[in-house]
Amino acid sequence: MVTLTTDVLVIGGGATGAGVAWDASLRGLDVVLVDRLDLAEGTSGRFHGLLHSGGRYVVKDPLAARECIGENRILRRVAADSIEDTGGFFVTTPFDDPAYADRFAAGCKETGVDCQEIPVAVALREEPRINAGITRAFRVPDANIDVWKTVGSLARGAQQRGARILTYHEVTAVHRDGDAVTGVRVHDVRGGEDLDIQARVTVNASGAWAGRIADLAGIEGVRVLPGRGIMIAMNHRLVNTVVNRCQMPTDGDIIVPIRTVSVVGTTDKHTDDPDDHTVLQSEVDAMLDEGEKLVPGFRQARALRVWTGVRPLFEDAKESETETRDVTRAHALLDHQQRDGVSGFVTITGGKLTTFRLMAEQTVDAVCKALGVEQSCKTAIEPLPGSESGQNYKLGERLGRKEQHLRDEQVICECELVARAKLEQTIRSTRSTNLDDIRRQLRLGMGPCQGGFCIYRAAGIMHELDGLSAEQADSSILAFLQERWKGVWPVLYGDQLRQMRFDEWIFHGVLDVDHLPTSANIPNGELPDSVGRPDGAIPAAGSAT
Amino acid sequence: MNRRKRYDAVVIGAGTAGLVAGTRLAQSGASVCVVAKGVGSTHLAPGTIDALGYMPERVQEPATAIARLAEADPGHPYASIGAELVSEAAEWLITTVASGPAPGYRYVGNLERNFLLPTAVGALKPSAVIPETFAAGDSSQLGRLVVVGLPALRDFHPELCAANLQAAGVDARGITIDVSVDRADSSTLGISRLFDDPTWRTSFAARLTPLVRAADHVALPAMLGLKDPHGALHDLENKLGRRVFEISTLPPSVPGMRLYEILSHALRAAGGSLAFGAGVVAHERDGERILSVDTESAGSPTTYEADAFVLASGGFHSGAITLDSHWLAHELVLDLPLQGVPGKDEPRFSAAYFDEQPMARVGVAVDAEQRALGTSNVVVAGASLPGAVPWREASGEGIALSSGYRAAQVLAGQLSKRTEALR
Repeated sequence: MVTLTTDVLVIGGGATGAGVAWDASLRGLDVVLVDRLDLAEGTSGRFHGLLHSGGRYVVKDPLAARECIGENRILRRVAADSIEDTGGFFVTTPFDDPAYADRFAAGCKETGVDCQEIPVAVALREEPRINAGITRAFRVPDANIDVWKTVGSLARGAQQRGARILTYHEVTAVHRDGDAVTGVRVHDVRGGEDLDIQARVTVNASGAWAGRIADLAGIEGVRVLPGRGIMIAMNHRLVNTVVNRCQMPTDGDIIVPIRTVSVVGTTDKHTDDPDDHTVLQSEVDAMLDEGEKLVPGFRQARALRVWTGVRPLFEDAKESETETRDVTRAHALLDHQQRDGVSGFVTITGGKLTTFRLMAEQTVDAVCKALGVEQSCKTAIEPLPGSESGQNYKLGERLGRKEQHLRDEQVICECELVARAKLEQTIRSTRSTNLDDIRRQLRLGMGPCQGGFCIYRAAGIMHELDGLSAEQADSSILAFLQERWKGVWPVLYGDQLRQMRFDEWIFHGVLDVDHLPTSANIPNGELPDSVGRPDGAIPAAGSAT
Repeated sequence: MNRRKRYDAVVIGAGTAGLVAGTRLAQSGASVCVVAKGVGSTHLAPGTIDALGYMPERVQEPATAIARLAEADPGHPYASIGAELVSEAAEWLITTVASGPAPGYRYVGNLERNFLLPTAVGALKPSAVIPETFAAGDSSQLGRLVVVGLPALRDFHPELCAANLQAAGVDARGITIDVSVDRADSSTLGISRLFDDPTWRTSFAARLTPLVRAADHVALPAMLGLKDPHGALHDLENKLGRRVFEISTLPPSVPGMRLYEILSHALRAAGGSLAFGAGVVAHERDGERILSVDTESAGSPTTYEADAFVLASGGFHSGAITLDSHWLAHELVLDLPLQGVPGKDEPRFSAAYFDEQPMARVGVAVDAEQRALGTSNVVVAGASLPGAVPWREASGEGIALSSGYRAAQVLAGQLSKRTEALR
């Protein structure tokens, strides 16, 4: 069996884990990161895309608000290319308690969240589609953040400094030597082989799955209660500013414009299984109703896709017997040397995407302490690859670039403006056999037609480049159709239903993909076993933002 | 104030079903106008008449299979149309194509036996009646095959097509020939315009000749011209000394557009007219009779009065039937009742994409004569009909053709009775 050795092993390729890898490599540490799936395929890739100003938490959770505004200011610089500076509003709609607005304004002042009350007329002029019955409006520095781009840049930055990123490597055992964690065994779910990784410190950054990894390490009481939330992407920028209801945070009270869509979210249902992606009809109906309250006519817009994410809500069972039963939204860093007398093992969980950098900083501080390394954190200053110019992303950027090459560049995915050269380069560099990996990198097939045109094209190109055998190409097409369907069918109505019927015509009436001659299997609605998800996971949603 | 026009029959929708119904009505002597929001199924469908391809096992003899389907599934459109009428309609189509505007171009085949034709991804799809330009692709006849693509044609991938055909036992290989069309992106439609020019055919054949020496058959994406596909096919076959055939790929469909030209030509030749950009926005109804429909034509909103109407506006894919965000389904053109809509608490869709979807068979509720329930003068045709899964069972164009043909039959009887009564 192959064995790798490293200073720091990170379990989990979400924003936190990739952030730890980036931070640790900037401090000169040797890093290996493993994830059972692709990067950002867990909670990180399944959120609404909101970079919080902190406004949402100023009354309910002032500490979280302070962290958010601090990180918001930092990320705008260091992850500039992933962020679109939309700004945000908090508005008091006729459905909200009018008394909350004053508490909100006071909370902003207290926590340092930049907030300015603006005349209702100004808010309505800037965002003419929001409910005309609003009585107060506040401007805050909310923004949107492209999480795949962010996590991709974190991983790339770490790799450029020598980190090894092993996606599709699932942890099957955590090695212990007495009271020390010494590394892990991972299973390469694609290659089929096992691999031992020896690490001086192992960081459990597996978010909602952190309890399971802690269990493997023989550590008790790390309980992460997954809080499942659904989000729906509407195929338009119904608003160009993040719009929040000015009320105590509840379900469905935010609309986030990101890329070419608007995302409404979210809900919060406790679940025992972090791989539970059930979407309930009642939740969909509730989200559409809430959207309608913020933007009248919301239901007439085209719903593109629904997905769920699980928040890692941390509860320390060791403390809970004596302390509060409250489950906190703040993050938790567990030094298992202090907590359990087990060295070489640190767990970071809880928190929210906006504060991932801070979580990584605190984690790597703890790692450095354990290793006796004196290196301070640089992630608040060092820009991520691609963000060196400090320029924020602007809507229409891809279109602007594309317009200069209309005649000499082939576009494979028109919805997301993916050029052939870029696709070929990505196919070569990832050496993936899976269209879905390409989708996450390039947004291929994520627009309104949901791959109707580009999936055949991309599969053909992957095959031509010898990236895929015919059987793999066929499987990839079929799996992609199932994959996009699971996020589409629970919100399928109106124009999107029309689109999907049209796509069905292409795939069945023209291409006849369900009668391909290779032995590629028709997916049965479950995710393929090869990605290592447990049986019984109810298929529902992948992210669309 | 709307312009007013009066016809014996107004057909709503200009896909295969609407154009066939309109043409047949005009041929029976009725004054007919086909009104349509835009072009229909022809521009999307492969241009072949797939009568019945799967049931769900692959169908070899469509006429027999249609008869079996009619017995097994009384809710299927074929149950009331019957295999015989499908055959008759297919023969009519073959005759109509042969006398169409594209010289020499014809459709071949019948309901006795399906061809098995390669698709662009290399599956083998059963079709009953097909353009002559597809005929050499019947997999039972194929020898050594070269599938040819162009760099500019992102909608056709010869190597994947050939690799899948190989898995099906065809001796196939794919090549991309470096023929420039003066831009990075083109569609089969763009290239088909080049094939209408004999000079282009000659230079194309010259480039291809050395690459297909070892082949018996040469496959190209369906792009052999809009105006003279017959000439293009024979030119290429003569120059290459090989059998040549077309493979349908992503829309827009060149062979479908040829079919559209042929059918709209037949409609006009029979005295019918065709109004585009004329989406129906309102209608007037008196009890069981639809009296007129209003169309929203730019600059001249028009009211069309008629004794009878054919509704051939399509299903969910065309927007004529819709499901709203409260999960209620509506027929938007004439506000007719629907059939096959799952109940409020029943699943609308299955989580497994490849399973049959509960919403799939929704259509306008009809009686055994395709008459819309609750009306006396509306006959329904094509994808507006309930009960079929047209693309998955490869029956869409067969249903469109035969139900359009039958709609005209049903109405012609009614219209002539009325004319006689007036005399």
